[in-house]
Amino acid sequence: MIALTIDAIIAIGIVWLALQTVRGANVFSAIIMFIVFGLIMSLAWARLHAPDLALAEAAIGAGITGALLLVTWRRVHVLEGRTPQVGMAARSLWLTLPTALAAALLIASLGWVALTLPAEPATAGELAWQRLPEMGVSNPVTGVLLGFRAYDTLLEMAVLLAAWLGARVVASELRPGALPGPAHEEVPLVGALLSLVVPISLLVAVYLLQAGGSAPGGAFQGGAVLAAGGVLLCLTGRLESADQTSLIERIVLILGLAVFSSVGLMMLPLGEPMLAMPGVWAIYLIETALLLSIALTLVLLFAAAPGLRRSS
Amino acid sequence: MMDWLLPLTGIVLLLNLILGMLRVYRGPTAADRMLAALLFGSTTVAVLLVFAEWMDVPALRDVALLFVMLAAIISVAFVGLPESDEGNP
Amino acid sequence: MNLQEVVATALLLSGCFFYIAGTVGLLRFPDVFSRLHALTKADNLGLLLICGGLAVQQGSPRIAGLLLVIWLLGLLAATVSCHLIARRALQMTDPEQRP
Repeated sequence: MIALTIDAIIAIGIVWLALQTVRGANVFSAIIMFIVFGLIMSLAWARLHAPDLALAEAAIGAGITGALLLVTWRRVHVLEGRTPQVGMAARSLWLTLPTALAAALLIASLGWVALTLPAEPATAGELAWQRLPEMGVSNPVTGVLLGFRAYDTLLEMAVLLAAWLGARVVASELRPGALPGPAHEEVPLVGALLSLVVPISLLVAVYLLQAGGSAPGGAFQGGAVLAAGGVLLCLTGRLESADQTSLIERIVLILGLAVFSSVGLMMLPLGEPMLAMPGVWAIYLIETALLLSIALTLVLLFAAAPGLRRSS
Repeated sequence: MMDWLLPLTGIVLLLNLILGMLRVYRGPTAADRMLAALLFGSTTVAVLLVFAEWMDVPALRDVALLFVMLAAIISVAFVGLPESDEGNP
Repeated sequence: MNLQEVVATALLLSGCFFYIAGTVGLLRFPDVFSRLHALTKADNLGLLLICGGLAVQQGSPRIAGLLLVIWLLGLLAATVSCHLIARRALQMTDPEQRP
């Protein structure tokens, strides 16, 4: 009963916050609603016993998307020289009502189908669970990501790289340097914050990577935490955008994809299938490479810059 | 005793969150709305810690750790906001 | 009900009290600076009490240490955020209306 009350509060809160985010009175309120939406979403993942997703939501939501939206707001403001009035178009009842009804009908029928389906034991999940000990990791999420659907994970890294390349093409159209950067005035306490949070984010990223073998965590969560540290450095002006992507940055950007592919191909001559994991060491090697690539890609995407350098 | 105290704490904190929503509505300034976001951050951390104990999922403490660690990033991003008052539509 | 449970219950309930006090301050206080003052102080005390209650109930030193780290980081984040938001709010207020 009491658990049901908690779940009901969270569920109603999610829907209500989503509604408020898209129809907020002004853009700034909508941004705050979106940030709060991420917080409640992580509580929902917590209640669903999915701490892996709660970790990802925390790292991405608290560290990157909220800051990205606030910084975008500022850039739009400076570029246009006025308070932006975007997105809050007049609402037409004739359009919203049928759309809402159709969406509700769709969700209701999908839910009904899901509820009436015979409870088939999920065969793939059962097989993966039984063969998990062979992987050498006890966290089923990491095991599935690298052992049973490694091809998906590899392609996700390719998508991330492609996203960065796409953003790079678009950003060069905007002429580098045309966008106003963050305010670089020195504010008291910010130095103290950086000197604690940035090293701790590095430590936590490594901890999540290491914990990923046996407990919730892994390359993606660790990479996002490391990226959040980088975002903080960008926001406070400790890192600034460079005109060129340096060689080291190029190597780190493709490191995840390169290491994953070469380990995946390594077992081919021995008659194993592609992307077969040679051992636990391979899993940790790939995860480390993925972490570095994910972190750098996210920071570069955040900064909308070809590269980064220490500010003088 | 303890098996209802922890979820009760969770409910009180969640209701606390809902009350705080009023400040996002009323504003009036952007700083007020940021304050509300600050309240949500710290309350969510407490709820996650209570959940970790109640549901016996220790990894939720790591989630809470991430939230407190990264909470200041949003405030730092906010500081560069434009001078004028965006609170009112 | 043993002593450990009594202490944990008292800590958790007083933690809730301070969270609610912070929210009441956020809603009722007249301007942004007093709201900041109410919220950041009360919430951090609330977080400390809840962390303390959970640590007492759990009784494991490792988890107590983790909860302490979480509270200290929360303290740091709240301090810095409070300072930054107050700074921005002061810049946005008219010079005549400043407190």
